[in-house]
Amino acid sequence: MVLVNAFQYAAARPEELLRAFEQHLLFVGVALCIGIALCVPLGMLTSRSQTASLTIINAANAVRVIPSLAILFLSIPYFGLSFAAAALALTVLALPPILINTDAAFRTIPAEIKEAAYGMGMTSRQVLRRVEFPLALPVIIAGIRTATLEVIASATLAAFIGAGGLGVYITRGFALFDNSILLVGAISVALLALTAELVLGGLERLVRPPR
Amino acid sequence: MINRKYIVRWTLSAAIGLTLLSVVVACGGLGGQPKPIRVGSKDFTEEFIVGNMYALLLEANGIPVERKLDLGGTPVLQQALLSDQVDVYPEYTGTGLLTVLKLPSSTDRQQVYNTVKEEYKKQFNLVWLDPAPMNDTQALAMKKDVAAKLGIKTISDMAAQASNLTMIGPPEFEQREDGLPGIQKAYGNFQLKQYIPVDPGLRYQGLVNGQADVVVAFSTDGEIAAYDLVVLQDDKGLFPPYQIAPVVRQQALDANPKIAEVLNKLAPLLDDATMQRLNNEVSGKKREPADVAKEFLQQKGLIK
Repeated sequence: MVLVNAFQYAAARPEELLRAFEQHLLFVGVALCIGIALCVPLGMLTSRSQTASLTIINAANAVRVIPSLAILFLSIPYFGLSFAAAALALTVLALPPILINTDAAFRTIPAEIKEAAYGMGMTSRQVLRRVEFPLALPVIIAGIRTATLEVIASATLAAFIGAGGLGVYITRGFALFDNSILLVGAISVALLALTAELVLGGLERLVRPPR
Repeated sequence: MINRKYIVRWTLSAAIGLTLLSVVVACGGLGGQPKPIRVGSKDFTEEFIVGNMYALLLEANGIPVERKLDLGGTPVLQQALLSDQVDVYPEYTGTGLLTVLKLPSSTDRQQVYNTVKEEYKKQFNLVWLDPAPMNDTQALAMKKDVAAKLGIKTISDMAAQASNLTMIGPPEFEQREDGLPGIQKAYGNFQLKQYIPVDPGLRYQGLVNGQADVVVAFSTDGEIAAYDLVVLQDDKGLFPPYQIAPVVRQQALDANPKIAEVLNKLAPLLDDATMQRLNNEVSGKKREPADVAKEFLQQKGLIK
C-alpha cells in the first residue's frame, strides 16, 4: 500500500528526513521573523496614518497576488539557486497577512478604552504597552498563524531550485513517478502545518484578554 | 410556491438534463473526427524539439495531433504511455534499457536497440520505431578552468576528488541506475560533497554561477559549446548508447499504421552535429523549440 511504502521510505533515511525538516523550519523561521519584525511596526503605523495605510496596504495586497513560484524564479539571477532566493519569496508571502491583521487589530481598539487610559493619566507609551498591545495581540497572532501556514505549505517550492526543505520529496516523487516518496513530503508538511496550527491557536487563546 | 415537491422535481429534471447532455457530448466526440494522436515529451530542450517534430510531421501527413509536451521525467512518460494518456514520445535506447527495463548496460548500439525493441513489445506492448544515429549520452561536464585547476579529465579523476565536489542535475539522476548510483557502483562508491537536484532548465545556471562544480549534462546539449565546458571522459565505459527513437502504443499504430512510415523518415536525419546545432538554437539563441523544429523540417523538405 502506498502509505506503508511511504513510511518505509521515510524510515530508511532518517537523517535525510530530519535535515529536510530542519531546512524547512529554517525557511519558515526566517520568513516569519522578518515578516513580524517588519509588519508589526508597519501595521501600527498604517493604523494611525491615512497616507501610510493607503500606500503600504495596497502595495502589500498587490504583491500578494504575484505567485510565489514566479517570485522565486525571478530572484534567481540575483541570489542564485540558494537559500536566499527561496527565503525572499517566502518572506514576501508572509508579509501581507501579518500586516493587514496588525493594522486591523490596532484600528479596532475601542476609542473609549484608550480615552479611559489617557484619563487615568497614562502616557502614550504606557497606553501602547499596557492597553493597546495586549488588546491587539490576539488578532496579530491570528495573522501570524495565517502567514505561518502559508509559508509552511509554500516552502515546498524551495526544492525546485535545489534549496532543500521537505519539498525535495515532492520533486523526487514526481521525477520518479513514485507516489510513496511524494507522500513522505506531503504528509510531513501537513503534520508540520497541523502542529503550527495547534501551537499558535493555543497561543492566541492564551493571550485573549479575560472577559 | 417553492415547497419540497417543487425542489425535488427541479433537481430530478436537472439531473436528467445533465445526464442527457453528457451522453450527447460524449457521442459527439466519439462519432465525429478520428481520435487525435497524443504526442508527449520529457522536460528538456531536445525533447521539446523532437516532440514538436513528431507533431508537425504527423499533422503534415493528415493525422490530427494533440501535443502534451514537457510532462516530466522518464517515469512520467512511461506511465503516460501505459495508462493511455499519451500515444508516442521520443525516448532514448540507453534510457529504455537501464531506467525502464532495468537491464545491465552494454556499449553495443545494435544490441541495445534490439533488446529494448523486443522487451518493450513483450512486456508493455509498446513499439520502438527506427532509431536516429545521434547518441545523446549522459555526461558529466565542468567549466574548463575548474577542471584544469583540479586536474580532472576523466570520471575516475572526479570520483577521486568527489568529497570536495558539488554536482547539480535533475532529481531523476540521483536515483536512476545509469545516474549517480550507477556511476558510484562503476567508479568506486565515492560520496559527493553535495548533489543539488533542480529542474533540468536550471542546471547550467548553477554551474555557471559557481554553486556547483560538476553538471549532469546531455552530450548534445547546446550549452556545452556555448559555455565552453569540458566533458569528462567515461573511462570505464559505463554509459550505453542513447539513440533517440519514437516509442508508440501498439493500439495507436493499429489505428494509424502511417505513423511508423512518417516518423521513420525523420530518424536518419538526426545525427550528433545536427542535434547539437538545433539544441543550441533553442538554449543558446533563445528561440522557440516549435519554430526550430518547423524550420528544420521545412529545410529538409519533410513539410511545406
